[in-house]
Amino acid sequence: MSDRKVKNIFVQGPIQPAFIADSIAKHSTKTDIGGHSIFMGQVRKDKIDGKLVSAIEYTTFEALALDKMHEIREAIFEKYPVNCLHVYHSLGTVQSGEICLFVFTSSAHRKPAIDACSELVERIKAELPIWGKEIFEDDTHQWKVNS
Amino acid sequence: MEIEIISFGKIAEFIPQQRINVGGIRDTNGLKQHLEATFPMLAEIKYKLALNKHMIHENLSIGDNDTLAIMPPFSGG
Repeated sequence: MSDRKVKNIFVQGPIQPAFIADSIAKHSTKTDIGGHSIFMGQVRKDKIDGKLVSAIEYTTFEALALDKMHEIREAIFEKYPVNCLHVYHSLGTVQSGEICLFVFTSSAHRKPAIDACSELVERIKAELPIWGKEIFEDDTHQWKVNS
Repeated sequence: MEIEIISFGKIAEFIPQQRINVGGIRDTNGLKQHLEATFPMLAEIKYKLALNKHMIHENLSIGDNDTLAIMPPFSGG
């Protein structure tokens, strides 16, 4: 049983590029790291039935999502020799072109960081109780379906 | 016995948050049937349940003042 605490991954609104740059900068003191892998999910301006997506509004069952994320985090640390990993997910409205998901893994060598980041993204999309409402330019909406 | 129902995503559009009296129902299978009968739209879609913030994978007993979450397929990321 690790002594890592349950972390909050949720951010109100879009994740700012400056925040991502700052996160990278904060790791420069961790001199045993040799590679970082970063994934950013951006809201795509999808065209559905002739209508364009202008934003996605995210909601979550927060208590369950944080518990599940903790479980996933522990499993990733168990499986890969990563030094650290950070996950941030937006809640509320994120406009097309803005970042809604930021996954950042670091390890001594590149392969574990890349593999852990990849697996984290897939697990987050499949297992976290988060929902996206796609809002069209005409203010109608539909519920996002993950593939 | 009363329980609290909370819902998310498209399910929240037709099942608002509410307390329901479950009468003689004592387990989650019974509750599923009751919900699908009360809200016929639910029977048409895929969903998962969580009882008191824990995902349900098998039939469980329910208690007074429990919270049941009704969740459509996840679409985060």
